[in-house]
Amino acid sequence: MSDTALHIPNGIIGIPTSLGFGLAAVLAVAACVAAARRGLDDRLVPLAGLATAFIFAAQMLNFPIAAGVSGHLVGGALAAALLGPWLGVLCLTVVVAVQALLFADGGVTALGLNIVNMAVISTVAAWAVIALALKVLPRTRAGLTAAVFAGSVVSVVAASAGFLLQFALGGEPIGQSFAAIAAALLGTHVLIGVGEAAISAAAVTAVALTRPDLVHALNGGRLDQPGDGLAKETA
Amino acid sequence: MKTSRFVLAGLTIALVLAGGLVLYASSEPDGLESAMLEGCRTGADGEISGGTCVAQQEADHEIGGPLADYGMSFLDNDTLGGSLSGIAGVALVLAVAWGLFTLLARKRGTGGEGE
Repeated sequence: MSDTALHIPNGIIGIPTSLGFGLAAVLAVAACVAAARRGLDDRLVPLAGLATAFIFAAQMLNFPIAAGVSGHLVGGALAAALLGPWLGVLCLTVVVAVQALLFADGGVTALGLNIVNMAVISTVAAWAVIALALKVLPRTRAGLTAAVFAGSVVSVVAASAGFLLQFALGGEPIGQSFAAIAAALLGTHVLIGVGEAAISAAAVTAVALTRPDLVHALNGGRLDQPGDGLAKETA
Repeated sequence: MKTSRFVLAGLTIALVLAGGLVLYASSEPDGLESAMLEGCRTGADGEISGGTCVAQQEADHEIGGPLADYGMSFLDNDTLGGSLSGIAGVALVLAVAWGLFTLLARKRGTGGEGE
């Protein structure tokens, strides 16, 4: 039975490290509240609420990635692409907090660790990659898909690297070496990242085709049609 | 598509995922869990049956609660519990997020950002 689901349970990371990351989470989320308020207006509230609820639902769906191993969406890339990094971090924070407080998914003592990894690191890493990729890629359906795909893979691997940092600081490798844990963890999270990428890219593309104005990464613009400037190339 | 219709469509998808598709989700250990289980053997029920691994340090959750592990502990039927807890979770998360973002969207002292 899977009852941790990418979320760090209690007992794995020591209390001082957990509390330290709890403080880091509070500071990071407070900064995101301040930054998000500048861009947040009443029209965005329903979409941000919907994105948060959707990410919660999608996180429940573990998909197989290898023999005997599963993974699920984290949602940082989806939130970053649709809502931008600051509001995105707040969406993921709500998801992770509700999971820890009501669904016993991730320890309460470990909440700061999980918020830093899954809300802050995953969303900000995804945003950095997506924003950079959209500077060099064409603003077409294919370009957006590629940007979100890359951002998703990087965000999941970065979040798992966050856990490794926390484990190096406050965990105790027993039964195997730290290097073996790191190799297993990063390996599986590359695969989880690919699953995350497929889901996020499909979802963001679907929103971009119906309501491009709701995709933060497009800055309110529309997707260019593949034929717009490339008609000669396709001939 | 109008925003209200877009949000309703999205919520419907979220409810179908959390209340329906969730019953078909994999129950194998996830990436983090399986890394922490390396060195241990697990039985058919997924419980550790021998060896030494990081997961053995895992401590109990502080709260637990009726919705722990995405079920409903007061229902005998696990399928129904799994489905209903997912639906309840989506509703709860939506309410919390909507409330929080409404508060944050309220501009202080400017009398709002009317059209």
